[in-house]
Amino acid sequence: MFDLIIFLVLLSLGYGVGQYAERRHYRSIIEREGRLNALPAIASRYPPIEPHYGQSLVIGSTVVSVDYFKRFLAALRNLFGGRVTSYESLLDRARRESLLRMKQQAADLGAAMVFNVKYETASISKGRGNTIGSIEVLAYGTALIEQRRK
Amino acid sequence: MKYRNPRIPEGINVSDRHPLKELLVLAGGALLLLVLLSWLLGQFGGRLARLLPFEHEAALAPVSLLSSDAGPELQAYLDQLGGRLGSQMAMPEGMEVRLHVSGGDTFNAFATLGGNILLYRGLLEALPHENALAMLLAHEMAHVEHRDPIVGIGQGAAIQLVLGLLVGDPNLAVLGSAGLYTQLHYTREMEREADTEALTAVQGMYGHIAGARDLFDVIHMQRERSGREEMPAIFSSHPLDEQRLEAISALARERGWSETGEATPLPAAFRRWLSEAAARAAEARAMPGLATSPSSRVGRLHRG
Repeated sequence: MFDLIIFLVLLSLGYGVGQYAERRHYRSIIEREGRLNALPAIASRYPPIEPHYGQSLVIGSTVVSVDYFKRFLAALRNLFGGRVTSYESLLDRARRESLLRMKQQAADLGAAMVFNVKYETASISKGRGNTIGSIEVLAYGTALIEQRRK
Repeated sequence: MKYRNPRIPEGINVSDRHPLKELLVLAGGALLLLVLLSWLLGQFGGRLARLLPFEHEAALAPVSLLSSDAGPELQAYLDQLGGRLGSQMAMPEGMEVRLHVSGGDTFNAFATLGGNILLYRGLLEALPHENALAMLLAHEMAHVEHRDPIVGIGQGAAIQLVLGLLVGDPNLAVLGSAGLYTQLHYTREMEREADTEALTAVQGMYGHIAGARDLFDVIHMQRERSGREEMPAIFSSHPLDEQRLEAISALARERGWSETGEATPLPAAFRRWLSEAAARAAEARAMPGLATSPSSRVGRLHRG
């Protein structure tokens, strides 16, 4: 009985706080994406030759962890199969946040665009069953910085 | 070449389905699955348990819980009554019923493995006449005849085992836990069949079923007095006393049994025998080194 109460408290806490944080995060993501839209992130490996750009590595990294509610939902999903929607939004936020951080870094360098953009993920809790599952989403690319002609 | 990032519409990588709705659907599905699985396993366990020969069932009986506090006279009287009832019932070959009396004041009586029936002084004292006692005995004997105790344990064990494995804490010592024997719960179906069988036996013996009603009245009154927690096992799976009484009346009408009739009194010494049993139980409790004497142990388990 006591365990059940703890479980329900954790579940509703996870839901309440998790949903609030997610909504707030999405608002911030959409707002910043609009702001940084002028600085394109391009997947192509071949940057334009003219004009001559200076180059710099830019990275954006996010580590996300899952809340109790999402984890429970995903565990239930494991029984039936299908889209694990509770994780999808989490990872979507992580990807976009990483890209934004990378773009922000490029913007700070005065770059015109970022080329050869790639993503990587690393599971931090890999191989350890009982730790909280968290992963890193890393976005990196080559910032092209316009050179001032003398 | 012009490079730019178009705005990608929301909701492609993310589903806009409400998480609570998802939770409701998934949890509901899981619960349904669990209930279905439990039911199936229960049926399977019950069926399997029924295949166990009665002689082997006797070996599983919780002997330590069942030493009787009854004196020789009370025991002889009960055995005689049980014997007469048994001759009215279609007991299979080799099935033997053993009656035990506990001196404890618990208001209860139950049939357990190996044809053992335990009657508590608390319930026996409340019975107004022999017909009610006969109904009680016949009801428990019918459970034995239908092999309800082993089926109940088989069902419980199968469910407990698999649910335990699912939760990750399998309690494999299912038959080892003594609590199981006193916490047997029979289905409504089992209780109804036991009632029918018992009524048939009582009718055959006395020519009317007046005692049956009185037994249920006694139990009903006790329940009103003590609240639901201390429901006797005989009524545990019946939240509606009225329904059961109606079923009895309907059966009586259908078979042309009389619901009224002269009740046979209990033997004059019946109450004395019971107080002797109580004294014997108290003595056993008071004896050093026997803190867990059989009767007190059963009583404690029941309350727990």
